[in-house]
Amino acid sequence: MSHAFVPYPFTAQHYSASLPPLQDGVESRRHPVVVVGGGPVGYTAALGLASHGVPVVLIEADDSVCAGSRAICISRRSLEIAQRLGAVDGFLDIGLPWTGGRSFYQDTEVLHFKMPQDENQKLPPMLNLAQYHIEKILLDRVQQLPELIEIRWQTQVTAIDAREDGARLTLSTPEGSYQLDTDWVVAADGGRSFLRESLGMALKGTSYEGRYVIVDILLESDRPTERLAYFNPPCNPDSTVLVHKQPDNVWRIDYQLRDGEDPAEAIKPENVMPRVESLLEMMGEKGAWSPIWITIYKANALTLERYQKGRVLFAGDAAHLVPIFGVRGANSGIDDADNLAWKLAFVIKGLASERLLESYSDERVAAAHENLSYGTKSTEFMAPPSFAFDLMRQAVLSLAVKHAGVRSLINPRQSSAISYTASPLNAALERSAEFTAGPAPGSVLPECPLTLAGDGAPREGHITDLVAPRFTALYFSEDGTITAELQALEQTLQARGVPFKVLAITRRLGTARAVLHGWDHTGRLYAMFGAEAGSLYLVRPDGHVLARWLEGTAAEAAAAIHQALT
Amino acid sequence: MTDSELDAVYTRLCQTMTQLGENQAPLFLARFAMLAMDRLGDAAVAEQLIDAAAEDMNSAASH
Repeated sequence: MSHAFVPYPFTAQHYSASLPPLQDGVESRRHPVVVVGGGPVGYTAALGLASHGVPVVLIEADDSVCAGSRAICISRRSLEIAQRLGAVDGFLDIGLPWTGGRSFYQDTEVLHFKMPQDENQKLPPMLNLAQYHIEKILLDRVQQLPELIEIRWQTQVTAIDAREDGARLTLSTPEGSYQLDTDWVVAADGGRSFLRESLGMALKGTSYEGRYVIVDILLESDRPTERLAYFNPPCNPDSTVLVHKQPDNVWRIDYQLRDGEDPAEAIKPENVMPRVESLLEMMGEKGAWSPIWITIYKANALTLERYQKGRVLFAGDAAHLVPIFGVRGANSGIDDADNLAWKLAFVIKGLASERLLESYSDERVAAAHENLSYGTKSTEFMAPPSFAFDLMRQAVLSLAVKHAGVRSLINPRQSSAISYTASPLNAALERSAEFTAGPAPGSVLPECPLTLAGDGAPREGHITDLVAPRFTALYFSEDGTITAELQALEQTLQARGVPFKVLAITRRLGTARAVLHGWDHTGRLYAMFGAEAGSLYLVRPDGHVLARWLEGTAAEAAAAIHQALT
Repeated sequence: MTDSELDAVYTRLCQTMTQLGENQAPLFLARFAMLAMDRLGDAAVAEQLIDAAAEDMNSAASH
């Protein structure tokens, strides 16, 4: 059977370069912030900054969104972030949700795992779609904000002159070169980050020996969307194979090369096609198929020690490289951008001291280490680094069918939201310790349905709908009354330009004030948060808890915010 | 376990391993270790046993 390559079922739009007004080769206008890199992380950073009213210039070297499926699994946390940025609909329309996966050993299914999913959830635990989809969806949203986000296509950073108060970037385009001045730079320029290399910053960690071939094929199949992992399958003994379904009949296949296999030979089409053929036959897939893309992958577990050097902040693969097996590469980059955007926006707007940016490195470097440890565990199971890991894996896989207790070792430890338990921003910890349930400072909010009411017809929503580009005080008040002090705090902070809102979480519908509040109609929310009347949860713009009190006052909330911003 | 129970279990292990053959001994013992760790249900005790088992054994030369 001939297997001619076909293109991805996706047509990218191409954009031309443009030059801004220049004076002696330098852009006349100085910018508060420039984002370098138009990928999922760069777009998320730009949208995040824009949501706080900060104008952004985004520099992208190519003339379109990426080619290649690349990052294909988007987690629930990333979808929450996309929702907050006004971009989630595209993900839900195009992406394939999956709620679990199956692992096979030789010819037997040994594990069927389910992702965290329950009736409290709004968004699916994981969604499959190609990176060109991800970028297009975010780009569509960016293009709705032309007054805040300007993309400069076909523009490449060729030099950075880092200064105390910002940076001068040298940019090259087909229309000519120029320089620009900016107060801040967000480096989201990927695994081979030019900015990281230019500033002499080194990634630290481990690179793994194991090589994986990644193949995308076009295949018609009715198979459901599940993560499939085959260990020592009959079609490829001594190997591990992963299969992921993507939209538009694109399928991702990853298979491990044996020790000693030459990577250059292995990715030649004539060596790849037979292996794909035998895998599909083993899976019982009878449809005609065509190859789209072949590449080789090597797992790395690397991170910078800090994600800031002067006025340059690093996010995504520019800051860290995690193994593919925990699906935390793009997802952790999106989380970086979400953490960074509000902090940088507050600093640019003069609402916070630069010390707030230290917490970006503190929180996201800790997150990277946590992601890396999960990714490392997954990698050690997918590609055992020594005879001992190989032997014990065999033990686990061969026991798993009859012995449920060992199965969790096969579970790929998929992405779940990180808690910043040691963050310097967390406040009132001794008061938080009084709770017997609910998210502690540093954690994200657990999802729960509620009814949004007070500002129009009551409608079904979720607690995460209340997270916005501001500090949010969730005030547990049975009938919706908010204390005069909290109302005064709202006015004081807003007058200073600090976005802040108090929202009542009520036990019953109806309130003394005709303003938006959340009614805990299921009765589960109060219990989930360990709250009683008068409890207060202070939530950051990125949805993580800043502090919480069983009985909270405006003065305490003010102090926690003040501490975070000074 | 009494001494004679220990004796019986010890013999059972040796006989089972003999049946499986020397080549399969590592995998058999690996499976036994996995099941035992799961059954123990106590991470601290499991770690103590790992350390005790490795004690007084020489590390392989690194290369």
